[in-house]
Amino acid sequence: MYLTAGPLEGKAYLVVDDFGDMRSMMRNLLTSCGGKDVTLAANGTEALSKMQTRRFDVVLCDYNLGSGKDGQQVLEEARHRNLIGLGCVFLMVTAENAREMVMGAVEYEPDSYLTKPFNKELLKTRLEKLIARKADLLPVEQALDRHDHAAAVAILDRMIAEKSANSSDLRKLKGEILLNAGEIAGARKVYESALAIRDMPWARFGLGKTFYNDKQYEEARDIFQALIDDHKTYTAAYDWLARCCKALDQLPEAQAALQAAAEISPKAVRRQQLLGEIALQNQDNDTALAAFGNAVKHGRHSVYKHPSAYANLAKVTASVKQGDAGLKILRDMKREFVRNPHADLYLATAESEIHEGMGNSDASKASMERAAMIYEELDHHSHTDCSLEMAKAYKRMGMEEKAVDLMQSAAFNNHTDDELLDEIKSTMRAMGLKQETLSSIDEIRKEVAALNNRGVELARNGKLEEAIELLETTAERMPGNRVVNLNTALVLLLEAENSAFTQEASARIDRYLQRVEAIEPDNRTLKKLQAKLQTLRDSSDAEA
Amino acid sequence: MKFSDILASTIHDMKNSLSMVINTLDELSSENQGREDKRLSTLQHESKRLNNNLIALLSLYKIDEGRLSANIEEINVADFLEEVVIDNRTLANARDVALEYDCDEMLVGYFDEWLIRGVLNNLIGNGLRYTASRLLMRAEMADDYLVLRIEDDGAGFPQQMIDAQAAFNRSETLGEGQTQLGIYFAAMVARAHKNGDTTGYIELSNKEQLSGGCSSIWLP
Repeated sequence: MYLTAGPLEGKAYLVVDDFGDMRSMMRNLLTSCGGKDVTLAANGTEALSKMQTRRFDVVLCDYNLGSGKDGQQVLEEARHRNLIGLGCVFLMVTAENAREMVMGAVEYEPDSYLTKPFNKELLKTRLEKLIARKADLLPVEQALDRHDHAAAVAILDRMIAEKSANSSDLRKLKGEILLNAGEIAGARKVYESALAIRDMPWARFGLGKTFYNDKQYEEARDIFQALIDDHKTYTAAYDWLARCCKALDQLPEAQAALQAAAEISPKAVRRQQLLGEIALQNQDNDTALAAFGNAVKHGRHSVYKHPSAYANLAKVTASVKQGDAGLKILRDMKREFVRNPHADLYLATAESEIHEGMGNSDASKASMERAAMIYEELDHHSHTDCSLEMAKAYKRMGMEEKAVDLMQSAAFNNHTDDELLDEIKSTMRAMGLKQETLSSIDEIRKEVAALNNRGVELARNGKLEEAIELLETTAERMPGNRVVNLNTALVLLLEAENSAFTQEASARIDRYLQRVEAIEPDNRTLKKLQAKLQTLRDSSDAEA
Repeated sequence: MKFSDILASTIHDMKNSLSMVINTLDELSSENQGREDKRLSTLQHESKRLNNNLIALLSLYKIDEGRLSANIEEINVADFLEEVVIDNRTLANARDVALEYDCDEMLVGYFDEWLIRGVLNNLIGNGLRYTASRLLMRAEMADDYLVLRIEDDGAGFPQQMIDAQAAFNRSETLGEGQTQLGIYFAAMVARAHKNGDTTGYIELSNKEQLSGGCSSIWLP
C-alpha cells in the first residue's frame, strides 16, 4: 500500500518514550506516514525542554516513562506552561487499557489515546482525523483564548446543529465551557439532555459539578457516589465526592473518598495534598504522613509542587516520629525551593511549630518572628494561602486576635471568592473559634458587596463624585480586593473622560490598576481598563 | 501481593515485549514488499493472536476483580470499524482474506470503544483461521440494540457450539476449541454493557449474509 502526500507531511512531531528501540520505531512509523520533521525525547523533562525551544504540531507521548514524570504529568505541565499551542494534537500512547487514565484525568485530557501496538495505517488514519478535528475546533479555541465564551458556545451550537448525530464531543466541550463561565443552568441543560438520550459517565460527572457549583452539595454528593458505584475506577468522581463531603463538613467521608482514589492512582499530587490536610483535621496522623510523603515524592517534578506539602510532611513527621526527623525534612525543603519567600514562610512557621513541640521555646519564637517578617515583605494579596498559614501559626502561639485579623482581612480582600471564604470558615472552626467569629466572615462578604454595589449604583446615576469618594475609601480599607480596585479605577476613568485628563488623574487611576496587576495580571477587566487608560493618555498627548 | 496481581503485571510486561515483536515484524514485512514469505506472515498472525489473547486475559481479570466497568461513549460506528479493519488488514492480506465492513456512515453507537475493539480483534483473529476467503463486519440497529456481526465464508460453527451458546452468555462454560477465549470474552464484554434494564449478549449462527459462521454482539 502506497501512502500519498497528505496533511501529515509538513507537521512537526515530538516522540516521547523512555525506550530507545520504541523511539526509533515510532520515528520510522511517522516517516512512513510522510512525516519529515520528527524530534525524539527520552523522558518528560527532556520533552518539556524541547517544547520550550520550539512548537510542535503533534506530540506522541508514552504514558509510562520510567522513574520521572509520567505522560499525564508531561501533558499537564505542557498545557499549564503554555508550551503546546491550541492547535497541537497530544496523543497518549499506552501499553494497555487506558481506561483508568481516561477516567482519572481531572483537568487536562489528551486529544486521544493509542494502544500499543499499532501499525502505520492506523496511526495515519488517527492522526488525520485528529488534525482535521483540531482544525474544526480552532475557531472555538480562539474564542476561548479571547475569553469570549459566548462566541465559543455559539460556534459549538452551530456545529452541533449541523452534525445532529455523533456530537457527543462537542456537547461535552460546550458543557465544560458553560461550567467554567459560571452559567450553571446552561451547563445543566447540556448534561441533562445528553443523559435523556443515554446514560454516559461524562454527562453524570458534569451534572454533579453543576449541583456542586450551585452549592447543592447533597445532591452533588449523591450523583458522584452513584457514579462511583457504577464505575469504580473513575477517580475524578472520588475527588468531587470528597469536595462535596468537605463542603458538608463530613470530613471522615471526604477522607475515605480521597483514600480510595489515591489507591487507584497514587501519583495525583493535589489529591495527596488534600488527603493529607483532611487527615490532619481528622487527627489521623498516619494517613496524613503517608499522603504528604506521596505529595512530596510525586510532586517533585510536577507543576503542583507546593511548599505546604513539605512543611506539613515535616510537621507530621515531627509529631509521629521525632522533632529532629521533621527538621531534617525542612532542610531538604530549603534545597528544593531556592530563594522562594513563599516557601520560606511555610518553612519558618513549620520550624516554629516543631521547635515548640521539642520544648525549644526560644527557637520557636525566633522562627515565628522570622515568619512574620517574611510575611510582611511578601506580597500576601496574591498568596492568600500564606495569610491562612500565618493565621494558624499565630493561633498556635496564643495570639488569637492576630489570627482572626489576618483571616478577616483575607475575606475583605477576596469577598467574591466563595471557596476561600469557606476555607477560612473551616479553618476557624478547626481552631475552635466562636460561632460569632465565623459569621463575621459572611458579614464581611455582605458588607463589601454592599459598598461596592452602592459605588457602582451612584456612578450609574451620574453621581460620580460621591461614587469616587465611597469607592476610594473602600479600596483603602481593602487594597487587595480586585473587584473594588477595578471599580474604583473604572469610575475614575469615567470622571477623566468627562473632565480634563491630567497627569495626576492618570497616576491616580494607575495606582488602583497596578494593585490588581500585582495579584492577577491576566484579569480581563484589568486588561480592558488598562487599554482605556492608554487611549486617554494617547489622545491627551496628541492634544498637547 | 496476590498471585493474580503478579499474573496481571506479568501480562502487562509481556504485552510490551509483544508490541516490539509485532512492530518489528511489520517493519520487516514492509521491507520485504513484493516478496511473499509465508513464514513471516505466520509470525505476524500468531503474535497478533497472542496479543489479542493477552488483552482478553487482562480485561477478564479486571472484570473478575470488579475493577472494570464499561465506559460508555457515543461512537461513530463506521469510523470505528474502519480503524478495526485498518488494524487487521495487513494480516488479512497476507492470508489472502478480504476483510471488509458494511455500516451506515451516520450510525451512532453507545459502547466502550476499547473493550469492543478488543473483542472484534479477537474474533477477527479466530475468523482468519476458519474462513475460506472473506471476513465481513456488519453493524446495524435492531430492536433498539446495536448489532455488530463478524461473518466468514468457512465451514461455520459446529452445531453443538450453536446449541451451547446460552451457556456462554451465562458464562458457565468456555466451550471447546481454539475459539473459546474469544467468544467467552465477547460474552463477558457484551454483558458489561447495560442500558436501563437491558443487558448485552452474543449470538452464534451460520449462513447469514456469508456462507460460514456469524458471531453477533448485541449491545443495548
